[in-house]
Amino acid sequence: MSPLQRIQSMLGVGTSLSSRRTAGGIKPPSYKEHSLRSRIMPMPIPPQLKIPVGATESGTIALDIAAGDHVHKYQKLAQLQLSAQGRTSIPVHAPTSGIVSAIEEAYVADHSQQKQVCIVLKTDGLDTSLPLEPAVDYRQLASEELVTAIRRAGIVGMGGAGFPAADKIDSAAHQALDLLIINAAECEPYISADEALIRERAEGVVTGAEILQRASSARRCIIAIESSKPNAIQALEQAIEAQTNITGNCELLLVPSKYPAGSEKQLIQSVSGIEIPSGQHPAQHGVLVHNVGTSYAVFQALVLGRPCISRITTLSGQALKTPKNFEALIGCSVEFLFEICGIDKSLRHKTLLGGSLMGLQLPSDNAAVSKTTNCLIAAGSDELAPPTEIQACIRCGFCADACPVRLLPQQLLAFSKTANNSQLLEHGLMDCIECGACDYVCPSHIPLVSIYKDSKAAIETRLTNHERSKVWQQRFQYHQSRIKKEKDQAPTRTKAVPAKKPAAESEVSASNNGNEQEFFSKEKASREIAAAVARVKARRDESKKAASVQDKSK
Amino acid sequence: MSSMDTKAPFQHSGKNIAQLMQTLLLALLPGICASLWFFGYGILLNILIAGFFALAAETAMLGLRGKKIALHLADRSALVCAALFAIGIPPGAPWWLVALGIIFAIVVAKHLYGGLGQNPFNPAMCGYAMLLLAFPLQMTSWHLPNEVVEGVLSVDNLGIPIASAEQEILSPLSWRGFKQALLLSFPFAASSDFDIKAFTDGLAMATPLIEFKMAGQSALLAARDSGASLFSRESETAWEVINIGYLFGGLLLLYKRIISWHIPLTIIATVLIVSALFYAPGSASIYGTPYLHLFGSATMIGAFFIATDPVSAATTRPGKVVYGIIIGLSIYSIRVWGSYLDSIAFAVLFGNFCAPALDQFCRPRIFGQGLLRATKLTETNHESTKP
Repeated sequence: MSPLQRIQSMLGVGTSLSSRRTAGGIKPPSYKEHSLRSRIMPMPIPPQLKIPVGATESGTIALDIAAGDHVHKYQKLAQLQLSAQGRTSIPVHAPTSGIVSAIEEAYVADHSQQKQVCIVLKTDGLDTSLPLEPAVDYRQLASEELVTAIRRAGIVGMGGAGFPAADKIDSAAHQALDLLIINAAECEPYISADEALIRERAEGVVTGAEILQRASSARRCIIAIESSKPNAIQALEQAIEAQTNITGNCELLLVPSKYPAGSEKQLIQSVSGIEIPSGQHPAQHGVLVHNVGTSYAVFQALVLGRPCISRITTLSGQALKTPKNFEALIGCSVEFLFEICGIDKSLRHKTLLGGSLMGLQLPSDNAAVSKTTNCLIAAGSDELAPPTEIQACIRCGFCADACPVRLLPQQLLAFSKTANNSQLLEHGLMDCIECGACDYVCPSHIPLVSIYKDSKAAIETRLTNHERSKVWQQRFQYHQSRIKKEKDQAPTRTKAVPAKKPAAESEVSASNNGNEQEFFSKEKASREIAAAVARVKARRDESKKAASVQDKSK
Repeated sequence: MSSMDTKAPFQHSGKNIAQLMQTLLLALLPGICASLWFFGYGILLNILIAGFFALAAETAMLGLRGKKIALHLADRSALVCAALFAIGIPPGAPWWLVALGIIFAIVVAKHLYGGLGQNPFNPAMCGYAMLLLAFPLQMTSWHLPNEVVEGVLSVDNLGIPIASAEQEILSPLSWRGFKQALLLSFPFAASSDFDIKAFTDGLAMATPLIEFKMAGQSALLAARDSGASLFSRESETAWEVINIGYLFGGLLLLYKRIISWHIPLTIIATVLIVSALFYAPGSASIYGTPYLHLFGSATMIGAFFIATDPVSAATTRPGKVVYGIIIGLSIYSIRVWGSYLDSIAFAVLFGNFCAPALDQFCRPRIFGQGLLRATKLTETNHESTKP
């Protein structure tokens, strides 16, 4: 990309490629420069690794090894068979050689916040590895073969989602894919793993992008990066130029540097102008987004034949002497990484996983690094300590201006306070991507995102309860109507009864319809009781009449 | 550790309400200084009196409501309310008038509705409107000390300036001007033999727009014939300068992104368009020129400072635009066809009435919602992205 094109792209008036405007966004200080001062550091082998396989709830775990086995580097240890889709699985490989000492449940540094099954590996320090078998030439493989190879390497979405990369490609396989976007817009403060990766290994990233494009048969492949990262942009330009000379046709697009530019649907809009409708997947609209980290892992898997056993993780924060990016082995403990960076625990106020806007606080340092652990922050006491005095909302609307989804956080707050669920849904609470931009700008320091999370959870439980009670209500009514039918059809009945039957049936169905719409209310109950009494009376009267008729006929 | 400290996001812009309010007060300064320069100390005394009673009322109400007094006083919202209120009160109004209005604003219009952020109506304008209804005479005449009037305003009964070459020009900012302003605000302090009437008699004056509306046709025509513009009849160009001062402050607020452009721009545009539509050189004087409507009265302060009060205004972007149009139309209509002299307070209060409905019905389209042609979009994209 020539300097002229770059300027055009920044201004959004470019001839070939230009980004489109997206709504809202904020520009927080990024603090990425601290961890970018040094190069990506390979990691010494820790004495012990706890390699996460997966939570027992999310699927069935098939172990290839048992406790006491000696394993080599790159050896497949286990795989998680996802229960939702029977076909898919995520294999796990040994990051180094050693002896499996146990298989236990432990905390993992990811967003699940639940214990996962981990393989505990006592490393032997020898790092003896299985021979790598690189694929013949990825250019000669069919897309299905590429997908299989990606699945075999155990690659998941490295941006943080953790969704199997192969499944993502598969989900779009039956569609004509127009556009593959490689997401290099790492917009959240502190996280610099992707930027470091691009600066130092751009060729791998671009090759990975080409492989992903071939695997998903996408017509175009665009690498999207923020305009504020000149070094990474330069590296990518060179790599793309080199690659274009051979076979690839990746393009580079600069997107405005704002948060959350890298959020999937926002990025798609700024790259292609397509607005993915609420509740739909990008693949339905011919677009697929993969993270640059994923792209690099794909390169490793297909060109080097190396499964996913490590990832780039940013270590940052004021409590660290030397913040930097690590090539972290999957399964090493957070504490071990902090130790290498020279953590001063007395300075540390809290530990965060992920960035400062969407991250979460880690309860302990024992958690194991997973394939999605992109950033760890050991924050000092005056770092990342938002103001705690909460004041009233003055409806200034700063939040609405910052919202990338064009929600009205000030209105959502008011409706959340009164638990006005219908208005919350009407105002698009479920479309909130929880990016935290509204929180960031709020002059009253209201914890908006956590309020919305609570409201969302409350609405979801309410909906499931409602569904469940509806099912039980229907069953109960069916049960009652069945009993009634049996009674009505009993041979002891008198002649007068069959005439009444259709009426009773229509009543049941009418009340059925009513129940679907309204909940239990006192008025309704009393109305129903009165109706029931009237029915009983009428029945008695009729049976009396019938009896008298019978008497007379006798 | 509070829950805020343990849940995302952990980073904050550092903005707070006190800063916003402080910038707002700062932005009022150019306009206030212009008023001070032209009309003497009256406005300053009004602001000080209103500020004092506002803080007192705020403290009392926070105490009664069991809130943290220091925390909420520090947000400076009471001071902003006091300043906006006091600017509208005629200089030379007695202290009790100012006190009554601001206490009504803080206690009834703000705290009885639930305090900061909960009031459906602009408290300052509620106080102003209450005074205007209860004390119409005091609220429509601007009593200025002789010092001021003698210095800048020497007119005959037709409103034409008298050549005053031999007259000594006195500054409204002199010590004597201050003393007289003080006595006007605190009449009880005057000694019994001191006759207030003697130096405030017949000095009632109002904004040029009001003069325009109230003055007899013949007087106006006579004045125009003799080449006097109504602005120069007043203290030279006082109202223009004051309005430019508030415009300047408003631009500062826009620059600092404390207010968005939607409300002020639509109000000004509406007033401009409507007044231009109705004005014709030969038309009845009551309509006034667009220039007079924008700079001859309180339009600027209304558009930038009062209508933009976020709590009581519409909060969505499209809602703000409609809100601004409603207020702009109201300002012009009340001025020209209504029975009140100036109209900012009632126009803003009327806008406040509409705001909740505007918020409900004028909402921006949520990302990814209401896309009927979503699939078509991809098709057009197919076309557009072809290399």
